Amino acid sequence: MTTATTSAPTATGGPKKRAVGVRKDMTAADIAATGLRDRWYPILPSRMVRPGESKKVTRLSVDWVLFRDPRGTVHMLEDRCPHRSAPLSVGQHLGDRLACKYHGVQVDGSGTVVSVPGMPGCALEGKQATVSLQVVEAADTIFAFVPLTRDSEPTPFVLPDRLTDEAVSWFPNFAEWAGPWRFYMDNVLDPMHGAFLHRDSHSMFGGDTSARFRIRETDRGFFFEKTDQVGVNFDWVEYVRGSMDYVDLEIPYAPNAGPGGVFGIVGMATPIDADNSAIFHWRTRRVAGWEREVWRFLYRTRLEARHWEVLEQDREVLEALAADADHEEHLYQHDLGVSRIRRIYRADAKKQAAILAGAPV
Amino acid sequence: MPEKAAHYLAPDQTHPEPISPYETKLSGSIMEVFGRGTHDLPGLIAGLNELGLHAPDGQAWNEHNFRAEMRRLGD
Ligand code: FES
Ligand SMILES: [Fe+2]
Repeated sequence: MTTATTSAPTATGGPKKRAVGVRKDMTAADIAATGLRDRWYPILPSRMVRPGESKKVTRLSVDWVLFRDPRGTVHMLEDRCPHRSAPLSVGQHLGDRLACKYHGVQVDGSGTVVSVPGMPGCALEGKQATVSLQVVEAADTIFAFVPLTRDSEPTPFVLPDRLTDEAVSWFPNFAEWAGPWRFYMDNVLDPMHGAFLHRDSHSMFGGDTSARFRIRETDRGFFFEKTDQVGVNFDWVEYVRGSMDYVDLEIPYAPNAGPGGVFGIVGMATPIDADNSAIFHWRTRRVAGWEREVWRFLYRTRLEARHWEVLEQDREVLEALAADADHEEHLYQHDLGVSRIRRIYRADAKKQAAILAGAPV
Repeated sequence: MPEKAAHYLAPDQTHPEPISPYETKLSGSIMEVFGRGTHDLPGLIAGLNELGLHAPDGQAWNEHNFRAEMRRLGD
């Protein structure tokens, strides 16, 4: 066949586009490395942006500035002045706006230039010239919708089930890891590491060190679970893709953690850049009445430290992995979950790259 | 990795203040009683009293002062 399939994809799919906050073309590999767009991500714990405070963060390899206005609302702008691109985060927080340090241009929470002090009446005034993301604060955390292109419509914000359930009590946990975000997803979709890496932990000392796994599809993702053991160790994980991607899992508590349901975890990773990740966990338990009160006290005084030790074991492995660790591996049956999640993300990245290239999708 | 030094890694995110020796003792005792398989409130309170631990007012633990103390320290 001699069809023209090698011609530029823009020929049929409309104009080429740039990803929001990115000023160069991105391939599927670039997107996979720095994070998939068009979804909600946890950005930072709410407590880290106090009233009157602004904070610079890098997420998906783009620099952003968060600031809380006098009404308590958090805004998230690209950290880049519309005039000559100085970072707004080094400027002044003026309540409902930021003033750039370089020449004083003022930008409000919607990214609109509200004042150009050096040249009043300048055409830049009133222009929405800085990227502003849609932000929601929930579960003690600042979330934002990271769009692929300027035309992307934010999807409705929906928290993971466990965090909206009144019967579930939770504590958030935040950490920054020097490893790529995709290694976090590989790690949580590999429950078998619990019986080895976390063998000496407070919660994962029991159960078999061999197992067979299966994938169980759901209408919102899939379960990856042991076929021969449940309720003993890290025996299953659910991957959910809704308005945000997250994992949900349960690990039994030892008797000394007291009465109440199992220990549930909701986990998410937000790429900082290709080599670093912002890791969000909510440690949860279905508990009521006095059992809830005691669990919360024990969590603060004892359990948080134990959970932290376990999480540090994960971090150490992830940070030790070579950047190309997911090439030339020898996967076996336990790695079905890893293969599946990689396939999903590869397909997503390809699709998003095609949208940027103007190809029909 | 130059950025690594700046990474946020905080083991104690729910209690910025250090845990007091009193809280350490109390939480350790609660886990000790739970560890024996006692998972009901009267059993827990009896267990704490048997360990010779006193409520903040110097009295023995009862359901009322115990739950009040958990609420005070837990949230
Ligand atoms: S670069 Fe910000 S005011 Fe000029
Ligand atoms: Fe782990």
